[in-house]
Amino acid sequence: MTDDAPPPSPGTTPRHLAPGDVGLVQPHDFVHPQPFAFKNGQVLPGFTLRYETYGELNATRDNAVLICHALSGDHHCAGWHSPDDHKPGWWNNLIGPGKAVDTRRFYVISANVLGGCQGSTGPSSTNPATGRPYGISFPFVTILDMVRAQKLLLDHLGVSEVHAAIGGSMGGMTALLFAIEFPQLIRRVVAMATTARESAQAIAFNEVGRQAIMQDPAWHQGDYPRDGGPRVGLAIARMMAHITYVSDASMDRKFGRRKKESAAADSYTFDTQFEVEGYLRHQAQSFINRFDANSYLYITRALDQFDLAQAYGSVEKAVAPVQAETLCIGFTSDWLFPPEQNRRIALALLRAGKRASYAELATDLGHDSFLLESEELYGLVRGFLERESVAFDFAI
Amino acid sequence: MSAPGKRVERRTIDMQVIGEWVEPRTRVCDLGCGPGALLDYLAQQKHVSGVGVDRDIDQISACVRRGVTAYQGDMLGFLRSFPDGHFDRVICSRTVHELAEPAAVILEALRAGRSVTVGFVNHGFWKNRLYALLLGRKLRNAVYTTAWHESRPANNLTVADFEEFCASQGIRIARRVHLLGDWRSRCLFWPNLFAGYALYDLTR
Repeated sequence: MTDDAPPPSPGTTPRHLAPGDVGLVQPHDFVHPQPFAFKNGQVLPGFTLRYETYGELNATRDNAVLICHALSGDHHCAGWHSPDDHKPGWWNNLIGPGKAVDTRRFYVISANVLGGCQGSTGPSSTNPATGRPYGISFPFVTILDMVRAQKLLLDHLGVSEVHAAIGGSMGGMTALLFAIEFPQLIRRVVAMATTARESAQAIAFNEVGRQAIMQDPAWHQGDYPRDGGPRVGLAIARMMAHITYVSDASMDRKFGRRKKESAAADSYTFDTQFEVEGYLRHQAQSFINRFDANSYLYITRALDQFDLAQAYGSVEKAVAPVQAETLCIGFTSDWLFPPEQNRRIALALLRAGKRASYAELATDLGHDSFLLESEELYGLVRGFLERESVAFDFAI
Repeated sequence: MSAPGKRVERRTIDMQVIGEWVEPRTRVCDLGCGPGALLDYLAQQKHVSGVGVDRDIDQISACVRRGVTAYQGDMLGFLRSFPDGHFDRVICSRTVHELAEPAAVILEALRAGRSVTVGFVNHGFWKNRLYALLLGRKLRNAVYTTAWHESRPANNLTVADFEEFCASQGIRIARRVHLLGDWRSRCLFWPNLFAGYALYDLTR
C-alpha cells in the first residue's frame, strides 16, 4: 500500500466531520494472556492485537465485518485518530456511515496482524524473558497464525458470525483462510487483488526487499535498538515494493518525465532529478518512520509461504470446508497479483461446489487499485454485503 | 403488491420454458447471464445452484446485487475450467448468435454440462424473410433493434440451420419448443418459417 494522502483543504469542514466519515476513532488492545502456539511449533507466552471497531455489534452478534489489511497496512482502516491527522485510515473511502461497508449496519473490526509493528505483538515487541525486543527470535509467523490470533479477538468481542471478511492483497489471503479454517464463522468473503499461491515473481520481489534490509549493516542480525535499525535497507525495500504496487501507466500519468524544480535541464549528477525519484524517496521516508524492518522480513516471509494448494493438497481441497459465499475481484493492471490469479480462486471455489463470483475491474493503477475510489468497486462490495431480493411478476 | 423496497421484474416467456427443463436442486450455468434474471428465477422456482458468465462488469455487479453468483470472463475459458459433466445443465439463451465460436461453445457446454439448453431468435421467421425481400435492408424490428453499424457482429441463424448443425455434430435433440412470433404460443407447423423463437434441449 502506498502512503499517498490527499492534501488538507484549509477553511472547509473538518475532514473527520464530513458526512459518511466514521469520525474520530481510537485503537484498542486485545491481550491474550495464555501461550499461543504458532504453526511451526514455536510458542509465545501471550500476545496483544491492536484493533479498531466502527459501528455497533447487533443483538444477534452477526453483523461483524472483518477488514484484513495488506503487508504494510494496519488496524486503522477508517476515521481519524486526531483532527490534525494528515490522512484517515487506509480504507476510509470504503468504510463509513452510508459507504459501501456501511457502519450504520455493520460492526467493522480491523486488527493489526500478529507479527506486525503497529501495536500488535511482533519482532519489535519486548520479549518478557530477556527484556529486549524479540528481533529474529520471534516465531516464524504465517497467515494461518495471523488468522488464529484474530479468531481469538473475535471470540473476545463476542462475535458469533462474521457477515463478511474483506481484504486486498495479503488481506485477501487472510479473509480466504479465515473462511477455510473457521467455516462456521464466516458467511461471506471479499478477496481482492490476491492469490491462492504466492507466485515466483512476488517471492522474488519480497526477497530483494529482505536482502536490502539484511545487507544493511545496521540490521545487525535483527538485533537493533527501537530507534535505530536498517533504515537504508528498509527504505530501499519500500521503494522497490512501491513500484510493484502501481503501474507503468499510473506512474507515467502522475510523474511522466517531469523534473524537480531544483534540477537543471542538463544536470549530470546523481541527485534527485525526476519527480518520480523524489516521490519514491518521500514514500520510503514516511515508511521507515512507521514500520519495523524485522516485521517486514517476517510478514513478507509469511506471504511467500502462502500456498493453499501445497498446504491442503489442492486449492479445491483447501476450500472444501468453506461455507461462505466468496466474491473475488481482480484488477486488470495488477501485475503483482494479476487478474488470472484472482480468477483461479473463484474457479476453484466453483469446482468445489461453492458459491463464488469473479469480477474484474478495468483500472490502470496496478496492484493498489483495490484502494481506488471507484463507484464500480463500491457497487460490487455494497451489493454483495446488502443484497436486494427481486420478486417475479408471473402475469405475462 | 410487493413489499416496500422490493423490486419486481417481469418473467419472460422463455424463462418459463427454460425453467421447465431444469430439474430442482441441480447445478446450472447460464452463459451470457446478463443481470442474472434467469438464474434468480431458477433459484426461486427450482432452488438451483447457479452461476452466470458474462463479459460485462455491470452485468456481474447486477448479479451480485441480487444474490446470483457470476463469473466475469470468456465462456470458453470458463467451461474449460470444469471437469466433464460438472453442471447438470448449461443454458445459452439469446446469446448464441453473438458468439465468436458458437460451435466450440456448444460442444464445450455439452462436455462440461450433462444437458444444454440453447434458445435463439429464428432468423427464418416469415416476417424477417418478407422484410429482406421487400425492403432489401438489414433487418430492424423489436428484436433486431440496431443498425448494422452500431451492433456487435451477429451470426443470425434459423431453426433449419440449427437442426442441421446438431445433426452434423451428432448432438441429440432431447426436446424442442418453437414459439410463434408472439414468443408465447407454440408453433406446431413449419417452424423454420413460423417460429419466432426456438428452444432446444441438447445432450451428447
